[in-house]
Amino acid sequence: MSRYKNGSGGLMENFQGGASVAAPASSRYEMRFAGSGSEYFKIWIVNLALTIVTLGIFSAWAKVRSRRYFLGNTFVAGHSFDYHGDPKRILLGRIIALALLLGYTLSANFGGPKVVAVWIVVFVVALPWLVKSSFRFNARNTSYRNVRFDFHGGYGGAFWAFVAWPVFTVLSLLTLLPLAHRARDYYNINNHSFSSKSFEAEISGGALYAIYLQALGMIAGAIIVAVLIFSVSGAMAVLASGSLKPGQTPQFGVAPMVFMAGAIFLYFAIFLFASAFIQAKTFNLAVSSSRLDGKLQLEANLSPFAMLWLIVSNLIVVLLTLGLMYPWARIRQTRYITERLAITGPANLNGYTSTAASQSGAIGEEVAGFFDIDFGL
Amino acid sequence: LPVAGHYFQPGLANFNAASLETSDDGEILIVRDGAGTVLAQAPRRQVQATSRLGNVRRRLDFPKAGRFETDDNDGADILLRQNGGFLHRLEQSWRMVLASVMAAGAAAAWFAFYGVPIAAGWLASHTPPGVSAYLTSQTLETLDGRLLHPTKLKPAEQRHFGALFAQMASHETRGQGGYRLLLRNAPLIGPNAFALPDGTIVLTDQLAALVMKDDEIRGVFGHEIAHVNRGHVLQRIYQAAMVPAAVAFVTGDATQVGHIATVTPGVLLQSVYSRGFEQQADDDSAKVMRGMSSDPAALGDLLLRLDRKLCGAENGCEPGWLSSHPLSADRAARLRKAR
Repeated sequence: MSRYKNGSGGLMENFQGGASVAAPASSRYEMRFAGSGSEYFKIWIVNLALTIVTLGIFSAWAKVRSRRYFLGNTFVAGHSFDYHGDPKRILLGRIIALALLLGYTLSANFGGPKVVAVWIVVFVVALPWLVKSSFRFNARNTSYRNVRFDFHGGYGGAFWAFVAWPVFTVLSLLTLLPLAHRARDYYNINNHSFSSKSFEAEISGGALYAIYLQALGMIAGAIIVAVLIFSVSGAMAVLASGSLKPGQTPQFGVAPMVFMAGAIFLYFAIFLFASAFIQAKTFNLAVSSSRLDGKLQLEANLSPFAMLWLIVSNLIVVLLTLGLMYPWARIRQTRYITERLAITGPANLNGYTSTAASQSGAIGEEVAGFFDIDFGL
Repeated sequence: LPVAGHYFQPGLANFNAASLETSDDGEILIVRDGAGTVLAQAPRRQVQATSRLGNVRRRLDFPKAGRFETDDNDGADILLRQNGGFLHRLEQSWRMVLASVMAAGAAAAWFAFYGVPIAAGWLASHTPPGVSAYLTSQTLETLDGRLLHPTKLKPAEQRHFGALFAQMASHETRGQGGYRLLLRNAPLIGPNAFALPDGTIVLTDQLAALVMKDDEIRGVFGHEIAHVNRGHVLQRIYQAAMVPAAVAFVTGDATQVGHIATVTPGVLLQSVYSRGFEQQADDDSAKVMRGMSSDPAALGDLLLRLDRKLCGAENGCEPGWLSSHPLSADRAARLRKAR
């Protein structure tokens, strides 16, 4: 059981016999995910049944178990992560979120557009707080090797990244979209810390624009190809039915129809691929531009093809099984993403002391999770 | 038997290989390093241990001391005398898992087909009349001048419809004063009639133009008045709020994969509820019509004529499982049976 050897070497524990081996200039630690679909299925379905039986109260405990399962099975350098969230705080957040959701739908239905306008203002004011609180709650309740993560971002920074930048993006007719993306990543990454060491990201704006432009190129290409195939198959139809008299509709043969179906399929496939491409490539760029304490270099290497296949196949399987394969799909996706992450550096976690992490509210975290806002990363 | 693991000093990332054992009476948990030195010890009840969860590493926090971690969940269970805990035993048994699948399915079905309608019905019947009146005035304020315009029916026709409405209303629970008829020209809405929660019923000129017999329009009024009596408009609002909230609560941490899978059932369910309301309103209308010796089936004739006009067919205009109304042919057949 080498992983139980004394850990005075920090992340370098893999080098057995420690003292006599000179530390290499850099070493690479790949992340590993050990969760299994059947094991998580059982946890998930018991969670679901107990949540229903307890009229939703158990859902907070269910969430903690689920998150503990995923983090507890995520390993780097022989150690797993851990989650410490308090279910009671999460439950409180969920109750407030439920009240807000019901309050919104009911008052919007009874009150009309004016009430909806008020809610939009409330939401814009609250959003930065929700983002900030949820990042902080998650960071402070996640640990690695007995040391907790932390998040220092404030309301102003969140307002800038999540309200101001999206407005700039719209005003600039989407030309600033990559920079808005970067502002969000900076707020997220640069405010996180492990022990007293901070994460720092420096993302190249040019590289980010290149990713978005490539995706744009794919979509433009898809449209041109679809239009070409349509006109070619239209022409084929006309030729097949001889010369077209005025008022006569072309008789479509089988071949042009197949061409058209193919064009439509190709069009959607390329569109989906472009979105998977942006997701995977921007994730890779952000993670690979991040360092911890200036020494530990993070890296991510997601393949857009693999991501596309994961998303499409998971969706089909989950729908075909009426949701029963959802746990399997989630494990599969997490395994792929986790195992494409790695850390390089003259790693030495020794002496990284845990700064006391007082409990921040779970309330913001839960309200955000409830409305299902995707914060990227 | 000692359990192998490692021990972290409080708040530090470095650790020692260590083992966990108990005192002879099993009441005190002790952590020792390889040389046998005691690193931490405490009475079992004061040690905070995480519950067992799959093969996830077990964590024991000693009061005012460090943390012991181990992968040996079985060994830890023996020393902690936990037997894995209730949840873990549920998760281990395929029989319990199967029971959970069935229980979850049954509960979801009950909630969808009984729970929501019962709750929405109760809320609708306990909504103060002031709320209904406010909602009605808000709706009319939004529609009037945009989708609804002053009627273009001749004064004689207006009086005729008014008289038929009053006659129908006098046979209903709230009596003549409880309902109000508004005639409106609505080219964008087309041939239609709808009820608002406070008892206001709107009939469009476009539907009035299709009416050939008095019993047909009596049937329409009876149908819309039934929507008012049963609070269907309010119920629909409550249902629209309840279904997504419940789905979100149960699938709280569903992201990406879960998204489409969680939205779809809610949409389908709404149209199931709506079709139920339409059938109830048809049945109520037929009952009142029989009571005043009018022909309930006349409403069915009007519905079929409406379909022919709108879609050139008698089978409705959208696939049945998505539409808010049952197929007109089915409704007409049911109304004929109610004669």
